[in-house]
Amino acid sequence: MTIDKTLIERKVVEYIGKNTHIDLQMLTPQTLLFKEGIFDSMAFVLLIDFIEETFGIKPGDEDLVEENFESIDSITRYIGKKTEIDVT
Amino acid sequence: MNEHMKRPFNKDILVITDLETECNQIISMLRHNVTERLHRFGAVVGISGGIDSSLTLALATRAFGPERVLGIMLPEKDSSNESAILAQKLADKFGIQAITENITGALEGFGCYSRRDEAVKRVFPEYDPATYKMKIGVKSSGLYTNLPPLFSLTIVDSKGNESSRRLPAAEFKQIEASSNFKQRCRMSMLYYHAERLHYAVIGTPNKHEVEQGFFVKYGDGGADVMPIGHLYKDQVYQLARYLDVPQEIIDRTPTTDTYTAEQTQEEFFYQMPFRQMDLLWYAFEKGYEPDEVAPVMELTPEQVKSVFVNFERKQRTTEYLRLAPIRE
Repeated sequence: MTIDKTLIERKVVEYIGKNTHIDLQMLTPQTLLFKEGIFDSMAFVLLIDFIEETFGIKPGDEDLVEENFESIDSITRYIGKKTEIDVT
Repeated sequence: MNEHMKRPFNKDILVITDLETECNQIISMLRHNVTERLHRFGAVVGISGGIDSSLTLALATRAFGPERVLGIMLPEKDSSNESAILAQKLADKFGIQAITENITGALEGFGCYSRRDEAVKRVFPEYDPATYKMKIGVKSSGLYTNLPPLFSLTIVDSKGNESSRRLPAAEFKQIEASSNFKQRCRMSMLYYHAERLHYAVIGTPNKHEVEQGFFVKYGDGGADVMPIGHLYKDQVYQLARYLDVPQEIIDRTPTTDTYTAEQTQEEFFYQMPFRQMDLLWYAFEKGYEPDEVAPVMELTPEQVKSVFVNFERKQRTTEYLRLAPIRE
C-alpha cells in the first residue's frame, strides 16, 4: 500500500473519530484540536501511540510541540516530514 | 467577584490577613458538619507527615478536642520512613491518639505491586523491583503550550543511574490504576475506624488537589468532609504556621510518597512551584486578564494564556473525579 497525504489524513481523521466524541462533520483540517477542547491529555497519549504504531515514527521530546500536533493539517505534515512523504 | 470590585492583581493577594478568624470559621464549620449534619462524634484523619494532613489534624483537634480525634498512619512498603516519623511527631504535638495500620499485605492481596511492575517491565524489560526504583511524572517543558503534558516513566538502578521513557497509554493507565489501590486501601481503613468509633472521615485535599483532580476517586477523594478544600497551598502553610504545626513538616517538600523513587508533587503533576501555581490559579479563577497578571508573574501574556488553557483543560478532564454517581 502506498502511503500518501490523503491516506495519512484519512487515518488521522479515523483516529479522531474513534478516540473523541466529536462529530467529524464539524472538523476541518485547520480545527485546533487542543485549544478547542477536542483532544484532552489522554487523547494526546493515544495519538502518540497511534503515530508510533501506524507510521513507525517515534516522536522525540523535541517533536512534542504545538506546531506538530495542533490540527489535522499539522499532524499530517508532521507524519509526512518524518516518513519523508511529500504532503505539501 | 464582580469585575469592578477586583483588587489589583499582586503577589500578596492570597495572604490571609486575619488567621484567627479564618481558623475559627473552618473549625466552626467542621464541627457543624460533623456533629449536626453527619451526627458523628469525632474525627478520623489519615496522617502522612505532609502539610495538608497535618493542618487538617490540627484543625480537627481544635474542633473536637484531642480525645475525639484519631490519627492513622497508613504506610506500605514503598512509603518513606520520614513520613512515619513526622506523622508521629504531629500526633505527639497535638496530644491525639495515633495508630499505625500497615497496608502492605492488603496491597499485595490486590496485586498492586505486581500489576504495576508488570507494566513497568513492558517499558523497561531490565526493570527488577528488587534492585530498581521507579516513578512517573510529567515533563515541565509543556507548561506554556496548549499541548497537554505527557507522562514519562523513570527507573533508577542501585547506583543511582536514571533512565526515562515516555509512557504509552496502556502502561500509563495500568501503573496509575494499580497505584491507586494505595489510596483506596487507605480510604477503606479510615472508614473501618470511623465506623467503629462513630466518627467522620476528614479528608485532607487542598484546593488545587480538589480542583485540578490530583486525588484518587474513592481513594483520598473519599471522605465525609474536606475542611481545607478551599485553601490555596500557600494559605495551607499560613494556617499551619499559625496553628504551630511542627517546623519539620512545614519545611518538607511535598512529595507523592507513592512510588519507590523519590518524587515531588511538582514533578509528578503540577509542573510549577506552589507559590506560582497559587497565584496563577487565583488569577484564572477570578478572571484576571493575562495582561495584568503577566508582569506580576514575570511571564509574557501569551505564557499566562497558555497556563490558563492548561488549567481549564485540567478542570474539564478531571470533572469525572469530582462527580458523584449519576442516578438518572
